Amino acid sequence: MTVVDKGKADTVVSFDDALIERARKGDSRAFERLYRDHVGRVHGLCLRMTRNPDLAADCAQDAFIKAWKALPRFEARSSFSTWLHRIAVNTVLEKRRGPSNAEIAVEDPTEYEEPVLSFDTPVEEEELEAAVESLPQGARDVLVLCGVYGYEHSEAASMLGIAVGTCKAQLHRARGLLRERLERGVR
Amino acid sequence: MSKKRVTRIDELAQSLPPPRDLWPAISAAIEADKAAGTAVSAPRRWLPAVGMAAAVALVSLGVFIGRNITPPQIIAAIPATGGSADLIPASTTRDANYRKEREVLLAEVDKRLAAMPEDERAKVAASLLTLRRAISEIEAQLGHDPANALLQELLVSSCQEEMRALTAVRDSGRQEI
Repeated sequence: MTVVDKGKADTVVSFDDALIERARKGDSRAFERLYRDHVGRVHGLCLRMTRNPDLAADCAQDAFIKAWKALPRFEARSSFSTWLHRIAVNTVLEKRRGPSNAEIAVEDPTEYEEPVLSFDTPVEEEELEAAVESLPQGARDVLVLCGVYGYEHSEAASMLGIAVGTCKAQLHRARGLLRERLERGVR
Repeated sequence: MSKKRVTRIDELAQSLPPPRDLWPAISAAIEADKAAGTAVSAPRRWLPAVGMAAAVALVSLGVFIGRNITPPQIIAAIPATGGSADLIPASTTRDANYRKEREVLLAEVDKRLAAMPEDERAKVAASLLTLRRAISEIEAQLGHDPANALLQELLVSSCQEEMRALTAVRDSGRQEI
């Protein structure tokens, strides 16, 4: 099963849709199937945001429990995957202690419109993950959502509860720090 | 994570499975949630299932009927007494006139079913049986909760649907003749 492309959502009746409908009616086996299909991405998101394997697993678990309870309110027109990620991000934010997502003043958010972060020289996945992990929380959150999971600034900003301008500024900051740390050889 | 090399950040794997299966804990929480929900709404939990069964039966019948008679004829075939909830009391299944009318209709429907090709007969009979089971289940629930207005309303409408369905099946035979 694949995550349904948003552009095709109107024309493609996905297996997910059928499972969601069954789960909404209380079929936990259908929900288990949804869990099996989505847990990797949800956990990946939680792990990258928390940098803590135990906490990430707890967040992913809680996110699915919250999703089950919130299923009756899920609107079929939106992407189930995005909805689930939104719940997971909320869960991570709730579990974090201390200040998060500090606002960065932005004069002109449009100056931070940038393409996907790419590297002239190929980088080892492990090295890149370590560099992402080393980023400050606010910058890392935005880089994970926009860079790794492909969310638009508006979506990521909404999930994180920050302004779109802040989101763009954080991504700009993350890119700069990431390049710097990769050049330095983060370890 | 691996030694694989990437040139773009979006080449990183999005899916990172958890080190342990989270489902047992999630499942336990779901069951607890279900149990809590059941305690609150147990008396009516069966209603959606009955409604769904009846709806499926009606759709199945509709497919059959649609091939045999046109919608205006279906409407015309519905007895005048079957069109208004006011005319079918909650005690409808115990009403002598209703039972007599239904028995006559059932006899005609049986003849019609006997004349049908086997596969169609099986489908129509199964749909009618589903409707009947839904009615029986509502009657059983009413036995436990006779004053329940929702159940009374559901019983009346289900009986009406059954009468409409039986009439339509009977008249589909007349149409072919």
